[in-house]
Amino acid sequence: MSANPLLIGHPLSSTEHARHALLYMWRIRKFEEAVEDLFGRGMMHGTMHLSIGQEASPTGMCMALTLQDQITSTHRGHGHCIAKGADLTRMIAELLGKKIGYCGGRGGSMHIADVETGNLGANGVVGGGLPIAAGAALASKMMKRGTVAVSFFGDGALNEGAFHEAANMAAIWKLPMILFCENNGYGMSSSTAKAFAIDNLADRGKGYGIPGVNVDGNDVIAVYEVAQAAVDRAKVGEGPTLIIAETYRWKGHSRSDKNLYRTKEEIEEWRTKDPLPKFIARAIEAGLLTQEQCDAIQSEAIEAIKAAVNESVKAEAAEPSGLLDAVFKAVTA
Amino acid sequence: MLTMAEAVREAMSIAFDERPEVFLLGEDVGIYGGAFGVSGDMFHRYGAERVLDTPIAELGIVGAAVGAALSGMRPIVEIQFSDFTAQAMDQIANQAAKIHFMLGGALHVPMVLRTPQGSGTGAAAQHSQNLEPWFASVPGLKVVVPSNPADAKGLLLASIDDPNPVIFLEHKLLYKIPGRDPVPEGATRIPLGVSKVVREGKDLTIVATGIMVNKSYEVAEKLAAEGISITLIDPRTISPLDMQPVYESIEITGRLMVVQEGPAHAGFINEVIAQMAGSASFGSLIAPIKRLAGMNIPIPYAPQLEKAAIPQVEDIETAAREIVKNWR
Amino acid sequence: MSFKYPVVMPKMSMTMETGELINFHVKVGDQVKSGDVLFEVMTDKIDMEVEAPADGVIATLVAEPGAVVEIGKPVLIMLTETEVMAFDFGDDDQPVIAVEVTAPTPVIAAPVSAPAPLIVDTPVKAVPKARVEAGNRGIDLRTVHPTGPDRTITMQDVNGAQLDPAIVKRQEANKALIAKGIEMTRGIAQASFSRRVSTSFDHASFIAAWAKVLRGRPDLAAHEQIGVALIIESKYGSALPVFRDPDQASLNDLRTLVASTTDAAKKGKVPVEMLSGATTTVFDLTTYSMSSATPLLFPNQVTSVTIGYDSESTKNISLTIDLNLCDFYDGALLLDALVASL
Repeated sequence: MSANPLLIGHPLSSTEHARHALLYMWRIRKFEEAVEDLFGRGMMHGTMHLSIGQEASPTGMCMALTLQDQITSTHRGHGHCIAKGADLTRMIAELLGKKIGYCGGRGGSMHIADVETGNLGANGVVGGGLPIAAGAALASKMMKRGTVAVSFFGDGALNEGAFHEAANMAAIWKLPMILFCENNGYGMSSSTAKAFAIDNLADRGKGYGIPGVNVDGNDVIAVYEVAQAAVDRAKVGEGPTLIIAETYRWKGHSRSDKNLYRTKEEIEEWRTKDPLPKFIARAIEAGLLTQEQCDAIQSEAIEAIKAAVNESVKAEAAEPSGLLDAVFKAVTA
Repeated sequence: MLTMAEAVREAMSIAFDERPEVFLLGEDVGIYGGAFGVSGDMFHRYGAERVLDTPIAELGIVGAAVGAALSGMRPIVEIQFSDFTAQAMDQIANQAAKIHFMLGGALHVPMVLRTPQGSGTGAAAQHSQNLEPWFASVPGLKVVVPSNPADAKGLLLASIDDPNPVIFLEHKLLYKIPGRDPVPEGATRIPLGVSKVVREGKDLTIVATGIMVNKSYEVAEKLAAEGISITLIDPRTISPLDMQPVYESIEITGRLMVVQEGPAHAGFINEVIAQMAGSASFGSLIAPIKRLAGMNIPIPYAPQLEKAAIPQVEDIETAAREIVKNWR
Repeated sequence: MSFKYPVVMPKMSMTMETGELINFHVKVGDQVKSGDVLFEVMTDKIDMEVEAPADGVIATLVAEPGAVVEIGKPVLIMLTETEVMAFDFGDDDQPVIAVEVTAPTPVIAAPVSAPAPLIVDTPVKAVPKARVEAGNRGIDLRTVHPTGPDRTITMQDVNGAQLDPAIVKRQEANKALIAKGIEMTRGIAQASFSRRVSTSFDHASFIAAWAKVLRGRPDLAAHEQIGVALIIESKYGSALPVFRDPDQASLNDLRTLVASTTDAAKKGKVPVEMLSGATTTVFDLTTYSMSSATPLLFPNQVTSVTIGYDSESTKNISLTIDLNLCDFYDGALLLDALVASL
């Protein structure tokens, strides 16, 4: 991994950019598959919320962001974390409850944060990250840092009070914020058809005076384009944008989801819209990558995940000593 | 002599001057000067960039404070009535309190949430609560309850310094009155987590919070003239709680009474009793521990009902006399 | 490249540890596509269909329908060209025999031996400090009249209470003994010597060493056997168990005997046969932080030794002799020999 894991720019602007986009989507895909395997073997505690099938959204969004730009994430946040440049070993280690994990084993899947890459943390509360991202954008504006804050959230959060309050504040104060909704059609088992009385979720923006933009969340190129436009808007002080990225999760809400609320046909249909082959085709067509290079990138991702798993499994488990001291940051006299 | 509102304003102004990253946000704190006049003229002195009027959106406001705190600012967020912290509970208890721990120490939340609490203004059930136990029972929050303007100033300065989320509970009835002691000049901090022995005696130890400190003081003065000497201890910070002076005092008096305004059941003051009951000082007790606290009812509206709902000076006096007389 | 991929019993809920294989949807040799159902499993709350992670062909059926399989253990093996993200950290080729789920062995709690019954018939209410005080002064709270609310004994009640009659009786007896003793001392000539020692020792090794020294001076003995009495204080008074010929027992045996006798003495239960035959006495004053004391020699005893406190690391050994029976110089030699042998 290079010193700066991020790369800004259009995925089809160069071979390097195409490579970055593809590598990161593969890293997310293979990471989630690895987590599914390890969890299935009983090696991970709790439950996991996998984002297999949704890789293009965070990858496209993060190709418009610098390390200093901030994100807040959700319970389904591994993809956001990886796209923003997180260290794979420290992520797996956290899921395995190891000392070297991002949270020292104290947070788990839903609370991974990475200060160095501007990741203010995944959140176990639906909508919890929205006001926090608004606050980060507020701080950026007050301190004149010129950075943006992106809040990743799902369609379920669009109905939380926190979304309403954060969107309104971002709008009235013209905060440099992007409200990025990964609409995968379900808030756990509630489909958007049943949870909304409106058809076009981007219309939610109108209520606050925020532009609402629809995008195919499985098309990393399209996602990048709306993301960069939103970042540019924010950075010149025009305020927030609401992005509704339509995507789909292949796996259940969590590992105990029996998928009773959706049909096999629906899942099958979305598998044909897999963001990875979609982009590979575009990159080859644009002459930026060859099939062999694409295969090599996939292998590179697989090797990176395997290395992370092997290193994490050997790492020392987190210990209970020191838990009491971990509640507060020490007061320096 | 400064009132509590003025002391709090002074502390905030000092903090504003010391650090550019300190700012205030809340409903009506700006041009209106604060619902209870606490922020006063700060809007004119510091401008809209540092004194932010917010929409009515407690969850969003507190969440924004959390996000700003994570990003290098030191927000002071004012919630107009402590009762409305209920709207913001996710950001207080699930986010602010837990971020430092959950994230393995990677981030911290240097935020102060100030809010008025307590009954006595006829504001009735939804505007008069004492919600200390809500906050005190959440690990990761520090909770401060100043009983007088002098303490309020020093404690608020220390709270703003603290890199952790602090819930600062001010009593409405104290805003407009000066305390017994004048508010000191300058920027001296009173450290969090240190109880204060307000007066010393040998017959009875009273541990009280908030306005009950002042009511208990009145009783102590009156009974002193009759030869009953009372030690009065004000924890000031209820979480983390400093019990050391309480233990030391019980060795001398052997009698403990605890007084709080909030409802008795599962209230904060029970923590003092629980710690005493399990301590080495338990063997020094010569009387059962007496608890005076609010009735387990929502605060009623009519003034005589409102008064009856919480301990008054007469109640404290009667209880003090009884315990000293019956337990020798 | 072909990969052999074991499809395992998946963990499906936070508490699941085993699952039951209901049936296979495939057989050996079947071609499958990613997402095809391979088999159905059940755990107490959930039943699930387990899907193929990639395209491939079924190679081996490992478990049998109806088997209970631990999570993470293989149910079938498939061959695939896709490199599946699989992390196996154990041996996965062995066929799984249905794991018998045995009923957990009921845990029989070890019988708690009832503590020796306290002399309590009626529950007594007393404020905490009154209990502490009563305990210290040996007052039986049942004998104290409560004047506090709810018939609770207060400090005032305990402070004014009568002492335990047994204690009062002992105090009377002591007074009589003292009076008697004062008369007796007029016929005694004693001398005391003391030395500081820095070696450490326990009671057993001390009395064994002292007995050995005495054994070397039969001319100073008044008896055949050597019996070393060791004073042990308890709330029942001073007990004086006698250890006969302690230099002739093994040190370990002696240690055990000293420990058990000390225990017994503290309970007021020294065996009667150990209460006679003393030819010398050892007093350990260190528990009182005293450096020395001058004991009166018991009748028929020529010598008596005290162990006193001198500092953190040193003790003060003091020997008292009966000058009627033992030379002044002999006393010094005895002490010297004792200190040398420690």
